[in-house]
Amino acid sequence: MTAAMQAVCALADIPDGGSRGIWPNARGQHQAFVVRQGGQVYGYVNNCPHYDRARLGWKKDAFLNGPGDRIMCASHGALFRITDGKCEIGPCIGQSLRPIAVRVREGHVFTEPPH
Amino acid sequence: MRIIGPDELVFGVDNLDASTAFLTDYGLTSAGDGRFEALDKTAITLRAKDDADLPPPLPTASLLRLTIWGVEDQATLDAIEAELGTDRPVIKDDSGMLRCKDDAGFEIAFRISHRVKLDLPAELINSPGAAPGRAMNAIGANQDAEAKPRTLSHIVYFVPDMDLMANFYIDRLGFVVTDKFTNTGPFLRPQANNDHHVLFMIQTPAYMQGIEHLAFHMQGPTELMLAGSRMVQKGYESFWGPGRHKFGSNWFWYFSSPLGTHVEYDADMDMHDGAWIEREVPMDKEAAQLFLFENVEKWAPGGPPPAGGTKAGTAPEGP
Repeated sequence: MTAAMQAVCALADIPDGGSRGIWPNARGQHQAFVVRQGGQVYGYVNNCPHYDRARLGWKKDAFLNGPGDRIMCASHGALFRITDGKCEIGPCIGQSLRPIAVRVREGHVFTEPPH
Repeated sequence: MRIIGPDELVFGVDNLDASTAFLTDYGLTSAGDGRFEALDKTAITLRAKDDADLPPPLPTASLLRLTIWGVEDQATLDAIEAELGTDRPVIKDDSGMLRCKDDAGFEIAFRISHRVKLDLPAELINSPGAAPGRAMNAIGANQDAEAKPRTLSHIVYFVPDMDLMANFYIDRLGFVVTDKFTNTGPFLRPQANNDHHVLFMIQTPAYMQGIEHLAFHMQGPTELMLAGSRMVQKGYESFWGPGRHKFGSNWFWYFSSPLGTHVEYDADMDMHDGAWIEREVPMDKEAAQLFLFENVEKWAPGGPPPAGGTKAGTAPEGP
């Protein structure tokens, strides 16, 4: 684990199969988010590759499509693979979300800061 | 042709519960059967993505399945059927609604508008030099005002060939260009509507084709601010605004939505008639808005009480 990593939430704070915004800025906007699948947690910068500075969610902690099998950008419906952030359909097809390093240790989720 | 504007937009979604909650919180009223109405009965309709009755989806991420245009009368419907029937299949359903595709491949329909005529006050303001807008003792800032969308205002599409699409609406359906962003697209209004635009398009690669945003008109800027602030308080993601556009002059506040499109509140849009001459400027951030605000948590100016615990100028307590 690198020194820059910080605890962002407990694993139990993320519903299994769900998502959660992390790293709020001074205005309370989440700069990154994590998606949990069982014990595995994936983290990405909250920025759609389609528009500069476009955050993905449509509501606090809501970053997934209905079935919960893709990350969805609520701006124009782009769908990204949860495991590697690659856009499969949508305005940024072929591009990818920027991943952030995530570690789960003793029930806590640690990530590097969004960059 | 007496086309009024978008009457109803139909989406096929994979998250009916989330989309229902969003449209309800946005201020539309559930009318049953997946339809969510503005005050004048223009509407957004939600269906499950795999609903067999829906027109086929685009091969993109767009969840919009049908744009229904409202027209004034049967004569207009007949004229549209005759015009578009010359080069494409036009299906008439039992209700008399016409369905076909436009030249960009969007599924569209036409029907006699379901709009009801609204008789509601505008936002009333007091301005020095002018007669008072509000009666004496009438309050302007009402925290509890309903702030409900009044009518479906406009729709904006991503489209791979904006000239092909714009010319379809101009040449075949009589839409008028009010203004134009060079290389981006024209603002269009139909003949039975004076609003600056009911239709706008942004040229994009084909894999992006779909809906960019939709908007409903609010009473005025105050209602727009009130409705948008309530969305933020409920945790919804503000995308752009509040602010005021230049072309159209409308106030705006855009939100991201589970329908995979931005959903805008707008207010106080310019109206034009045949005397208007279109303007054209390059699209950039200066051209897009007159000004832009950002919602922040409420605060009020003030300071800590003075040292010593006694307010300056107040008499000491005592018998």
